[in-house]
Formats: sequence, C-alpha cells, structure tokens
Amino acid sequence: MFAAMHAGRVKGMLCIGQNPATSLNAKLEREALRKLDWLVVKDNWIHETANFWKSAPEVTKGEVKAQDIKTEVFFFPVSQVAEDEGTYTNTQRLLQFHFKAAEAPGDCRSDTWFVYQLGKRLKKLYADSTLPRDEGWKNLVFDYEHEGENERKKGDPSNPKILKEINGFATDDPGRHMPGFAALKDDGSTTCASWIYCGVYPAPDKNLAARRTADPPGTPGAQLGWGWAWPSNRRVMYNRASADPDGKPWSERKKWVWWDEEQKKWTGYDVPDYPATKAPTDKAKPGAAGMDALPGTAPFIMRPDGLGWLFVPSGLVDGPLPTHYEPAESPVKNPLYEQQTSPVMKYWKDDANPLAEVGDPKFPYVMTTYRLTEHYLAGAMSRWNPWLTELQPELFIELSPELAGEKKIANLDWVTISSPRGKIRAKALVTRRLRPFTIDGKVVHQVGMPWHWGYEGLSRGDIVNELTALVGDPNVSIHEGKTFVCNVEKA
Amino acid sequence: MPEPMGFYTDTTVCIGCKACEVACKEWNQLPSTNGGLNTLSGNSYDNTRRLDGIHWRHVKFIEQFPEDRRDGRWLLMSDVCKHCVQAGCLEVCPTGAIIRTEFDTVVIQSDACNGCRDCIAACPFGVIEMNPVAGTAQKCTLCYDRLQGGLEPACSKACPTQSIQFGTINQLRDRAQKRVAQLHQSGETRAYLYGADEKILGGLNSFYLLVDKPEVYGLPSDPKMPTRNLKPGAWFSVLGGMLVGLLGVISFRNRGSGEPRP
Repeated sequence: MFAAMHAGRVKGMLCIGQNPATSLNAKLEREALRKLDWLVVKDNWIHETANFWKSAPEVTKGEVKAQDIKTEVFFFPVSQVAEDEGTYTNTQRLLQFHFKAAEAPGDCRSDTWFVYQLGKRLKKLYADSTLPRDEGWKNLVFDYEHEGENERKKGDPSNPKILKEINGFATDDPGRHMPGFAALKDDGSTTCASWIYCGVYPAPDKNLAARRTADPPGTPGAQLGWGWAWPSNRRVMYNRASADPDGKPWSERKKWVWWDEEQKKWTGYDVPDYPATKAPTDKAKPGAAGMDALPGTAPFIMRPDGLGWLFVPSGLVDGPLPTHYEPAESPVKNPLYEQQTSPVMKYWKDDANPLAEVGDPKFPYVMTTYRLTEHYLAGAMSRWNPWLTELQPELFIELSPELAGEKKIANLDWVTISSPRGKIRAKALVTRRLRPFTIDGKVVHQVGMPWHWGYEGLSRGDIVNELTALVGDPNVSIHEGKTFVCNVEKA
Repeated sequence: MPEPMGFYTDTTVCIGCKACEVACKEWNQLPSTNGGLNTLSGNSYDNTRRLDGIHWRHVKFIEQFPEDRRDGRWLLMSDVCKHCVQAGCLEVCPTGAIIRTEFDTVVIQSDACNGCRDCIAACPFGVIEMNPVAGTAQKCTLCYDRLQGGLEPACSKACPTQSIQFGTINQLRDRAQKRVAQLHQSGETRAYLYGADEKILGGLNSFYLLVDKPEVYGLPSDPKMPTRNLKPGAWFSVLGGMLVGLLGVISFRNRGSGEPRP
C-alpha cells in the first residue's frame, strides 16, 4: 500500500490505531504520506504519523519544508479501551466482552462511533445518486441507534445491535437470533454479517462473550464458560487430532476429545471440531462432497483430504518443503544453495528502497530488531506512559564486547548506525548476550535494536525502521525487518 | 488474628517483564523517576536501578555469560521489602510510624513518619528511601490495604509466571521446599532458599529461591540488626560513666581540703 502511495496512486488514508511514519523504511513511508491529499489519524496521542509534517527528521533538518507539504491532516482523539464497552478478540479466537469503566475525556470518541458516523454520512452523501455503482450505499442498512439518550446525543451506536448483526438473525423476525452457523440459510431467510461469529449472541439476553465462569483448578481447563471462541465455542481447532485413528486419546494426560463407543458420538472436554456422529470407522464415499468425502480418521476437516501436510505441493507460493535461503540482505553467501535468496520473496522496487549487495563491506554487520516487554509496537500506547518510559527510557543498540572493542565503543556511548536506507543514533548497551558468529571461516558480528521509538511522546528516540527495507515473505507479506545489514560507528 | 503472610519469589521462573513494578506503581499511585524522563542505566535491562521511596519493586537483571558464552545465563529477580521478623527499621523508628501489622508484615505509616531517615540506615537490604513527593520514608506495604480487603498484593496478582507468590508463610515455605527438591532432582543443584527459615533476621516474610550466592543478587548473606551493638554499647556507656566519675573524684580530690579562703 505504501509503495503504491509512494508512487502517487493513493490519494487519502484513514490511519486508525497505526503509526506508519515509524514503520518499515520509515523515510519512504513519510515521503509517501507527503503525497497524499488527505490523511485522517485517529489515535490516543498526536503521534509520529499525525505530526509527520511538523516534527519528522527531514522537516526538522530542513530537507523538507512544512509549508511545501500539501497533505491535509485531520486528527481524531480516540477513547481508550476502558472508556468503551465492546469485545476483545485475541489470536486464540476468544471473544471477551468488557464493560465501560470511565467516561472518555473531552472529544475522545470510540472506534465504533467513528465508523458509525462515517457510514451514516457517506450514506447521506450517496442518497440522491442515480449511478448503479452507488446502489450498495443506497441500500445499506445502518440503523444502530443507541438505546440510551445520552449516548444517542453523543452519536454513539448500540454495540449490542452491531453484535446482533454480526451474529445473525431471522430476516423476518429480527428478535430471533441465530444460534449457530448451521442454522444459516442461503435463501435470504437469515442474515449474518460473519458466519464465524454466529452463535456468540444466540438470544437477546445471552451475550456469550460476556461469560465469566472459569473452570475450577485441577480440571483440564477448556474454560468453555469463559467468553466465547469462534467458531462454535471451540477452544482447540482440529481437536479430533487429540485422539488416534480409532478415536481413543493418544495420551491419558493430554486427552481432549474422543469417540464414545457406547453413545456413538464424539465427546470430551472441548466442543468437538468434528461431525458429532461421524465414527472413526467411517469410510470416505467416492464422489461425495464435504465431510462425506473424508474418512472418519481424518481430523483436518478444512483440508481437501482431511490430513495435515508436511509436503505441500499446492496452496503456498513457495514450497513444497521448507528450506534455507539467506535474507534479502546478508553478509554471507547462502551456504546451502547457489540460490542466495527466496526467488519468490516480495521486494518493492523503488529508488528509496535500495538493498545492499551480498557481503557489502560498507555494511558488514547483521542487524536484528525486536520488541521490549515495556513498550508496545510503535509506542503510541507506551511511550506516553511515565510508568513505562522510566523502565525503558531510551533507544539503545546491543552489541558484543568483541565488536565494541574493535570499534572502541564504550557502554552508553552514542553510536551511529547506518544501512542503505538511512542513518540513526542510539546509545550503546554492551553485553555478552550478543556474540560474534564464525560463518565460512569469517567472523560476523550481530547487533540488535528494539524498534519502539520515534520523534513524539514522553520518551523520544530515533526510528529504527529508518534502516529497514520493504521486503516481504512470498505468502502473506510478513516483512523482513528482523534481519538486514548495517554499519556501526562511534558517534 | 490472621496467619503471617508474605511472598515467596521463585527467581528461576522470573522472565523480567517488570509487570510487578508497574502493577505496584499503579495500585500505590507512585510517581516515576523524573516524570518518566529517565536515562538508560547501561546495566542490562535494569533502568529502575534500586529499591527506593518510589520504587517498591525492582527487577534485577544479572548477566552471567563467560567469554566463550558457554552455559551463559541471565538471572532475573524481583526484589522487594523482606518484611523481616526482626525488622531493623521498626526497631529504630523514633515516632512509632513503622508498625507490625496483623499479617506480620512491616508497614511505614506515612502520616506518623517525621522523615528522620533512621530506618533508611537501619535496613540491611537498602529497601527504604525517601519518597520526594510525600517527604516521608516509604517502602513496600505488602499492599496492606488490599490485604485488609481480602485481596492479594498487586505485584503477585500481576506476575504472569507465578514467580512472585503470595500466601501464608507456612504454605509458601512448604511449596518452596518442594520446588527446591524438584529443581535438585532435575539437575539444578544450585537452588536453595534465602530467608525461608529463622537464620536470617528471624525469618524473612518475603523469601527467595536463588541459584547463586546471595551477594550475586545484591543480598547480604548474614545481615545484622542495629540492636546487635546495644549490649556492648551499653557496657561501654557504663564503663565510660564510671571512668568520668573516677576522673571527677581524682580531679576534685583537693577541693575543700586546701587552705581556707580569705
């Protein structure tokens, strides 16, 4: 997206809970932000992205003049989590409802307020359009009026109404919520915004995400009465795999879901992720569709053959087996193959996104970047908090005593770090936790930096992502900011 | 009367996340170093540096990596007031601001503290310091207010690995001994308990499982009470008094016996 923005193909951006001015190849990202017509930032603080036109290094150094930046920036102050009711969904697929604990100060509004108000305004804007492409907007149902008068005045939507829309209900009887995705029909008689969440709100007085019944200590602990997990409140996916092909637990200690021979059904601590009565002895029916095409021994029901794959001939851009390639930048040749890097890695070609050659003597060291427990991502939720900034107050670079000795760098000295993309400063933290490697007979030094800092906030420091490149993995574009080459000099 | 309560800190499972420090500050509403504008200490990940009037929990980071990096380890330990059974601070406090609570913990009552700092010098662990905002000496209260409300202290509640455990001293000692046995069995023979019996100041109501000498963690191996000097000090006082008396007798022995004044 930022590569397209940098090329001038994106005109506007809604930046909600993100801080791209400190993201990968940060200088390129800010250059891209300068090409926008408008930028809406919605966050707790006026962070680096909101102030990229005013306090970015290129502006304070005079390389770019603030008056030459045409981007119009709008800042929306946003409420914190405890100032709003709603659900958290974590990567374990668990939805947990939280209540509002305090009023947000001043004009701070929630994310739902923002999206609701934006939707209502856009709908109004397209109301008189006769263009076929605007039919979607004209037919959009967006009635989430809050039940409370005060909230309605403030423009807040009703969260239960939104949750109901996500859960699903009977089209001709909106008071009847859908109990689970098996009840959904493709004939228009039911409506559901997202099938995976269907069942979280099965009745108007039953918000299962708000449940708080923990399992007693010493029990297997599926915690089925705590919150709600999608889909169908299953806590472990593909849990039929916890039983052997005959349906018996692989291990007594780790038993989770098993086949009950007497009752002829799957049972266990968790909600079985399997058709309840499909026996382990079931044979696959040739030419059948869906679960009928799988034998009762195949637990991975979302896979075409119901099996887990080590050899993956399809579905991945790379594969079929894992192998080793060097990162996009490396001080050494790939010791395993002639092919240096993944032939299908994503690299966004741009003059502002250069890569160093293999073994470039100007950038001899391996850099890795990481996070600290005291800070969160680009810092908008931590670098403004004095209880956290006192624990990790300044940006640092960790290096081994061996490299520090070579470079005559003492602990806490200021150090300049450079890569083909940029140059930053940080304080040295000399530690034996880092060690030199010997690769192919050559000593290679590694250095490490946490990347939470930026030019706004209570605790400020240079942006480590000035050094990183826009390189992504071939399948899901996860960036390669964890490894690249750099140089280190005493400042 | 409740049973004696305290902390058992198993340093082998501490991950150095400092959640205890933050939870402590949040519950007790303690200010930050220089309003949060602290400086990097250069000593591993420890920027708190020490226990003092505004840091009642302090996670220590001890890097033990030999030059060849073999068997390197990063010792982590969340330090706190030991709530000693024989508490030096309590002994020296001239105003009675420091009390022993019904939970056998040691608490400084800020409203009765006159800021004399005697307790700071009396603590063998360097736990107490002045809180610059309050102007009084302060330290961990073992969340006395939470205990009175039937809650566990903020730090142990926040600890994600159960490195900090709260409970009755008897229950904690039992659990800690089992853990030492488990560690010995699995090959970590250096594990031992510090302060879990009466040897150190009559017992520490916040005791530790360590895997190196106490000094490595900045703990004294044989801390002493300020009153240890009381007896010899008293004898010296008696002796001094007698000496002064004797000198007086000698000095003035001629007075009154000389020639009568004119």
